[in-house]
This record gives sequence, structure tokens and C-alpha cells, in this order.
Amino acid sequence: MEILIQQLFNGLTIGSVYSLVALGLTLVYGILHIPNFAHGALYMMGGYITLTMMTKYGFHYWIAIIVSILVVGLLGVLMERFVFHPLRDAPPIHDKIAAIGILLFLEAFAQFVWGAEYQSMPTPYGQVVEIFGLTFTMQRLLIVIAAIVVMILLTLFLKKTFTGSTIIAMSQNREGANLVGINTKKVAMLTFMISGGLAAIAASLSAPINLVFPGMGHLVILKAFVIIILGGMGSVPGAILGGYILGFSESLGATYISNDYKDIIAFVLLVIILSVKPTGLFSKGGH
Amino acid sequence: MKKMKWLFMFSMIFVLIFSLAACNSTSNTSGENDEKEDDNKSEESGTVNIGYTGPLSGPAAFYGERTLNGVKMAADEVNAAGGFEVNGKKYKLNVVSLDDKYLPNEAGANAKRLVQENKPPIIFTPHSGGIFALQVFNQLDKFIIGAYSSEPQITEVGNKLTVRIPPRYDGYLKPFTEYSMKNFGKNIAFLPTASQYGKDWAENLKAYWEKEGGKVVYNSAIDFTKETDFFTILTNALKEKPDVLFIGGASEPTAKVAKQARELGFKGGFIVMDQAKFDEMKAVTGSYDLLNGSIGVMPLVDSQEAAIPDFVKRYNEKYGENPGSEAGLNYIGMHVFVEAMKAAGSVDDVEKIRANMQAGLDNLPDDKKIYIVNKIGEDGGFEFDLSVAAVEEGKIVPIKVD
Repeated sequence: MEILIQQLFNGLTIGSVYSLVALGLTLVYGILHIPNFAHGALYMMGGYITLTMMTKYGFHYWIAIIVSILVVGLLGVLMERFVFHPLRDAPPIHDKIAAIGILLFLEAFAQFVWGAEYQSMPTPYGQVVEIFGLTFTMQRLLIVIAAIVVMILLTLFLKKTFTGSTIIAMSQNREGANLVGINTKKVAMLTFMISGGLAAIAASLSAPINLVFPGMGHLVILKAFVIIILGGMGSVPGAILGGYILGFSESLGATYISNDYKDIIAFVLLVIILSVKPTGLFSKGGH
Repeated sequence: MKKMKWLFMFSMIFVLIFSLAACNSTSNTSGENDEKEDDNKSEESGTVNIGYTGPLSGPAAFYGERTLNGVKMAADEVNAAGGFEVNGKKYKLNVVSLDDKYLPNEAGANAKRLVQENKPPIIFTPHSGGIFALQVFNQLDKFIIGAYSSEPQITEVGNKLTVRIPPRYDGYLKPFTEYSMKNFGKNIAFLPTASQYGKDWAENLKAYWEKEGGKVVYNSAIDFTKETDFFTILTNALKEKPDVLFIGGASEPTAKVAKQARELGFKGGFIVMDQAKFDEMKAVTGSYDLLNGSIGVMPLVDSQEAAIPDFVKRYNEKYGENPGSEAGLNYIGMHVFVEAMKAAGSVDDVEKIRANMQAGLDNLPDDKKIYIVNKIGEDGGFEFDLSVAAVEEGKIVPIKVD
């Protein structure tokens, strides 16, 4: 029993990180209509910027995260402005090529600036907490809580504010949104900003339990692709639910079936869900 | 029609990925080129190219860089001393390094390219996959492999031009097992890295551990390129109540595994695979206290050899970090090769150089002896006095190996 609850908590931790990454990916899908391959690189940049702010400039963890959100968000906006916006009328393949190009560029850039070695991010929340025989660390609780808070804020923003609705409108129909007077350029930039910010939050929260290195984006990006396919391309609740499904299936699969096959378990789950609902759990139809 | 479009799109993506990957493998010829100009002034000097193929980009780049640093540092020292003399002619070293992204096929292609363009008598490579790939044609193309891998098999295949620089890892099985069994107990959980190397290590340790009457209660590999968090696998391993954990891989993620095991309440000992180094692990855990009860290889900076402090100082000045055995062993390897070329009286007759490796070891100057290597075996492996260390009460303690 203890093992089950411990593993559920482990699944929740890792699922929270996956969800945050997938959320950014799914939002941008609404603009680009392709998965943004460079999203993993934004995640990695988020980790490095938070780390640099903390170690080099001595910022507190939270301030470093805020700086990181702004910088990576800005990086997202620049990507949109200089790469994806000029390509908006080009065939989708051009977007894909551009995204892969950005991915390779950012990884090489990180290795050039920060070096190839693993770096460790300190956290003020390293304490171990034990409740009823379960082991948490403060950092892990923080990941779970922060992820939920971010998800609630994002949902409120998208559903209850005017600006948020314009993002949804644009993901539903770009021309339609334009016709009713939405400034699509501004909305596209805003979406990339939020997407980059989410990647930075996810990386900054999860980096203390792992390490910061140029390839760290690969840890999560493939899984985030699986999640947005699972949840329905472009769907916000789909990304959240998909993230937790993958997190739980990994931790429980590793415990009760086999650790060596836990990736297979996650992908079998994907196959089953897609055979029942071929467009994903929360697909909206259309694209 | 639509299907065709998709097909086209996917094929384009693949073409793109591969072409971009191809562009990525730029060659980094090191700075010694400038010095070549000076050489040409005198008729009596020449240049010996030294090949290197290893991971210089991607997840293992830091490892490749450290091994390359060792080779380069030795080459720079030889050049700074005015080169070395063979048969009355002065030679300087020029290290030509290529990136193979840790892939055996790329290592093979790089070696072919080096042979054609630079004709190096020696090609260094720091991973067993690459070494096996090079062994397919090195005797035909006449170059010695400076093999940096403790995999015993690389010297067991009977390749006459392979020199294995580090000690073989199966020498560690006995001291590691004895120490851990004596201090902690007979139940062990295996959590090595998911590389081929890690799996071979685990298999050998498993056989030895069970022969000594121990029991492996959990056995699974961790893929450091895929796992974001190790709590899940550690929870499962610790559920089986092991006395000892076998961990290993690159130092930093290995340290994270150890740290998270302690967070989950593990009180036993660690057997640390030779790929991970205590001093680099300490950078992640903050102190040695977390690693109390660990046994592994002695960190280079804590070794007792007389040449160490000076070497550490010089390395630090050059690269801004403490050297590990990756740099140290390749450094000593390069110097031994130079001495062997001197003793052989040739810089391109590779059989002769290989035959004079023992003389090279004997002639190695004292200030280069950061490891004590007395002998090179028939099979081409350097034979070491193993230096093993444990962490006890927050300190590195040398463990005697008989």
C-alpha cells in the first residue's frame, strides 16, 4: 500500500512536469498547426537561464524563475517574429524545417555558451519530508503544487479574459478571428510568449531533481508529443490529462509490470486510446 | 494525392534531419596548426598527426572533451619542449580531432577520413563501440588504436595494434564485492546506466557477487538520456530491502541517483562503477557525507603519486577544472606513445611503435607519471596497480588491493 501511494506521488511529480511542457506545445499547435519541434530547446534554455541567474547573479530561486520566464518567453516571441511569421503562408513543411533548425541552433548555442557538462541547480527546497512512511522532498511538493496553480491560472486566463479568448479563437480559425477584428499578429506573439514561459517554468521546477545540460530537452519533448497526440492536438485539458496519464502509467507500470518495459506500457496505452478515439481524448475536430 | 503529399513531407523531414546531422560533424583541428609554420623553417623537423575520434557534441560531449583535453595537453607539452627527436629529426605533434557523436559507425568513418587525409600512426577513441569499429580495419590501414575503455573484450579479440589505456574493469569486482559484503551485507540492487558498457559491467558483477554467496534482489538499468526523475525506479529497488546499491554511468547523474536514494531513506553502501568519479559526484551532492560507504575508483586528484599535484595545477590553468582519470589516462597514454616512437626510431612504422611500447613505459619521465604503469601486456593492455577508494565518514580513504 505504501509503495502504491509513494508511486502515485512519483507519478504525479513527473506527470506535472510533462503536463507543463505539453501545455506550451499544445498552445503553439493552435498557431502553427504543426508540433513545435523547438519546444524542447526552449525548455533547456529555461533551465540554463534560471541556473545562470542563481549561480552567476545570486538571484533567489523564485526571482530567477521569473527572469527565466521572461527571457524564454521573449525568445519564443522572437522565434515567431523572425521565423514562423514570415512562413505563415508557406506550406507546413517549411515550419517543420524551421523548427528543427531552431532546435539544433539552440542546442549548439547552449553548448557553446555554457559548455557540454552536466550542471546541478541548487534549490532552497531540498528538505526531505516524511509523512506516514511516504517520502517527499519539498521540491517535489513544489512541482506538484506549482503545476496545478499554473494550470488553473492558464485555464482562467483562456476562458475568462478577453485576451485569452482571442487565443482560443485564433486556434479555432485564423481567418475567422481576423475577420472579427482580432489582431492575429499580436495573438501569435502572445501565444509564443506563454508557451516559452511554460517551458521555462517546467524546466526550472524539474531541474533541481535532475541536471541541467544541453540535451535536457530530449528528456521531455518526445513524451510531450505523445501527450498532445493522446489528449488531442491543440487541446488544453487534453495536455493536462495526457501528462498525468503518462506520468502515472510510467510509475505504476514500472512498479507492477516491469521497469524495463515502462516506455512500452506508455505507448501501448497510446495505441489503445487512439484506437478508441482516433483523434485523441479532447479533440475539437477540424485540424 | 493527399497521401503522396504526406509521404513527401515525411521523406523531406528525414532528408533534412540527416543532412543537418551531416553538417554538424565539422572537424576541429586544434590550434597546433600555427606551429607548423615554424617547423617548416628548418629542414630537420616534421609533424606527426595524432588522430582522435570521440563524442564532441550531444549528451556525451563533456566526456569526449575531457578525454581530448588529456591528449591535447600531452601534445602541447611535447611541442612546447621543442618537439621530440627520432633518428636525428625533430617532430612536433598535431592533434586532429573529429566528432563521432558516440556512434561506432561515425567513429569508423572518421578513422577512414583521418587515415586518408592525415595518415596518423595513432588514433585515440574513448568508447568501446568505436574501438570495435576501428578494429575492423586498423591492421590493414596501419594505425594503432589508443583505446580508452576498460572493457576487457577490446584486448581479447587479438588485435595486434590496439593499446588499451585504462585498467580493465573486471579487476574491480573482487575488491568492490569484498568491501561491500563485509561492511553492509549480501543483498544488492543493480541500477547501472543503460549503455552496453553498463550492462556488461553489471553482468560481470552479478556473476561474481553470486559466486561469493550474495543475492541480487533487483536488477534494472537507468537510461540517463530518457529519465527525468529517479524516484520511481529507486522506490522499486529499495522495496526489496537491498544492503548495497550498484550504481554507475556518468558521474553527475550517478550522483543524483545516490542523492535520491538517500532521500528515500537508503542507509546502505554504494558500489560505484568505474565510469563515475567520486570527486565529480561530490560537485553534485555537495559533500562526501552522502556517499559514505561507497566504494569506487580513486579520484585522480586524491591519488598519492608524486607527479599529481603539479599535473592538477597545470590542467587547472589550462582548462579551468580539476582533471579526472579521463584526462589523466589519455595524457599519460599520449606521452607513452611519444616515448615509444623515440624508442622505435620511427614515427610511421606502427608495428615497430607497438613493439616498443614497453620501452616507452620504461622511459616515461617521472614528472609525467601520474599513474604507475609498469607493464603493457601481450594483449596490448596497460597493467596497473589498481587504485581503489572508499568514502568513510565524509572522507576519501584508499583501499588496499592485493
